[in-house]
Amino acid sequence: MRKLRLASYWASACGGCDVAILDTNEHILDIAAVADIVFWPVAVDFKYSDVEAYDDRSIDVCLFHGAVRNSENEHLARLLRQKSEVLVAFGSCAVSGGIPALANFKRREDILNRVYRESPSTENPESVLPQPHFTAGDITLDLPDFYRRVYALDDIVPVDYYLPGCPPTPERIWEVFEVIVSGQLPPAGSTVGVADHSLCHECSRVKKEKKVKTFYRPHEIIPDRENCLLEQGLICLGPVTRGGCGARCIAANMACRGCYGPMPGIIDQGAKFISTLGSIIDEDRVEDAGAVIDRIVDPAGTFFRFSMAKSLLKGARQP
Amino acid sequence: MDVFEPKIIGFLCNWCSYAGADLAGVSRLQYPPNFRAIRLMCTGRIDPTFVFKALAEGADGVLIAGCHPGDCHYTEGNLNAARRYHLMMKVLEDFGVERGRVRLEWISAAEGPLFAKVIRDFTEIVRALGPFNQAAESGAGDTVCAS
Amino acid sequence: MKRVTIDPITRLEGHGKIEIFLNDDGSVEDVYFQIPELRGFEKFVEGRPIEEVPRIVTRICGV
Ligand code: SF4
Ligand code: SF4
Ligand code: FES
Repeated sequence: MRKLRLASYWASACGGCDVAILDTNEHILDIAAVADIVFWPVAVDFKYSDVEAYDDRSIDVCLFHGAVRNSENEHLARLLRQKSEVLVAFGSCAVSGGIPALANFKRREDILNRVYRESPSTENPESVLPQPHFTAGDITLDLPDFYRRVYALDDIVPVDYYLPGCPPTPERIWEVFEVIVSGQLPPAGSTVGVADHSLCHECSRVKKEKKVKTFYRPHEIIPDRENCLLEQGLICLGPVTRGGCGARCIAANMACRGCYGPMPGIIDQGAKFISTLGSIIDEDRVEDAGAVIDRIVDPAGTFFRFSMAKSLLKGARQP
Repeated sequence: MDVFEPKIIGFLCNWCSYAGADLAGVSRLQYPPNFRAIRLMCTGRIDPTFVFKALAEGADGVLIAGCHPGDCHYTEGNLNAARRYHLMMKVLEDFGVERGRVRLEWISAAEGPLFAKVIRDFTEIVRALGPFNQAAESGAGDTVCAS
Repeated sequence: MKRVTIDPITRLEGHGKIEIFLNDDGSVEDVYFQIPELRGFEKFVEGRPIEEVPRIVTRICGV
């Protein structure tokens, strides 16, 4: 059998997805046995010019991590779409913006100012900001344009499969590889490496009636390891989040932040979670319920932790 | 100068506020035509997703109206709605959505005049706020991405 | 002037690009090292509760 031609690329990402692939441990050898790597910046020295020289659709599978934050990310998204038969949005950033898309609560100008002018560890006496073009004598250099907000991969190009998670677990990654190698691909547009039930369903904690008297911040209580964290008053996105991770955070006694994305049928993970909390707060007097709700710190940044680029509002309206 | 005519979406519970709207109609009370009603069985059916989607797809204001506390025909649907509303408003604030654009009101089937007044007041508030401009979204302007 | 572009720099976390300019006798005239990426954690952690920051900044580098 012909070996698969495999690419893995990071756009606006942290490299954690690439490491998750390596975390398949000895399976990485099985992957190497059936696939030739034709592009993988974290591990192999191919250049953009090599990819440009490939025939269209000659990469069998491209795993694209990272969100689209700047014009270079967009260029690579388009290039890899053109060169690949199957394009996978791999990891929460590519699927829905992930952590980088928290920037969609901020203004582009404010981000640049903070990073290049105000941050205490920056020395920038001439107060310069990165410029897309720079000329010195007869030399011209270019930097990517920093966009006004963060996009998910499928905002830019059509995507064949979605593999969410920050990062996806090595077990799920390996399962997806097995499917790819078998050639029995699910219908295009599918989300793969996930369960069809909610995270709560795969969470082994004891669930009683979901009624919450008040909410706590993590330093205010020590949650027990047996009972549902949400019922103990910790904000846990399990009810609106898709299973698949094996309840990793819960096992560490930490509440879920929703990296596996919304349950099938949920349009907006964060908005849906508002609905969830509204129905489980055990306080009928409207004013008192308000006081309970006011104990939730930073609801927007928590409920939309990984899904901002795909939320209905996409980003904050800025005055 | 053209006056801005806001688009206002209303989610009304079948038993109280929709009936209140009906009463306003049969009583021939005047209120501005900017309001488009969507009838639900109860405000407890209102998922904040509806409000986000309305705003994302062109509404300039959203009204949620249902039975007074204690009067909900499903006992506590409106209490769910009130709790969701309170939390949703905190979230919308972080999305830069002005408070005045999204409103919760209790309007009974007997309160036709109140219904008309709420719509009149709300329309003026949203008109003063101006269009809920999707273009003001922090991402717009990346024309390269628009294709 | 001859220009040698190394794009991207590989086998490390993050994005980097090197442009080397050679003069007529082939020796290096100028070198530019560019970081064509920015996410802006410095800004977008603002407003997040302190206990959430460890769960956010772990995504600065996952390698
Ligand atoms: S809310 Fe969280 S802790 Fe509770 S059952 Fe769901 S995933 Fe588990
Ligand atoms: S528990 Fe939630 S945040 Fe943690 S890995 Fe699973 S889906 Fe992601
Ligand atoms: S029936 Fe009217 S609010 Fe529930």
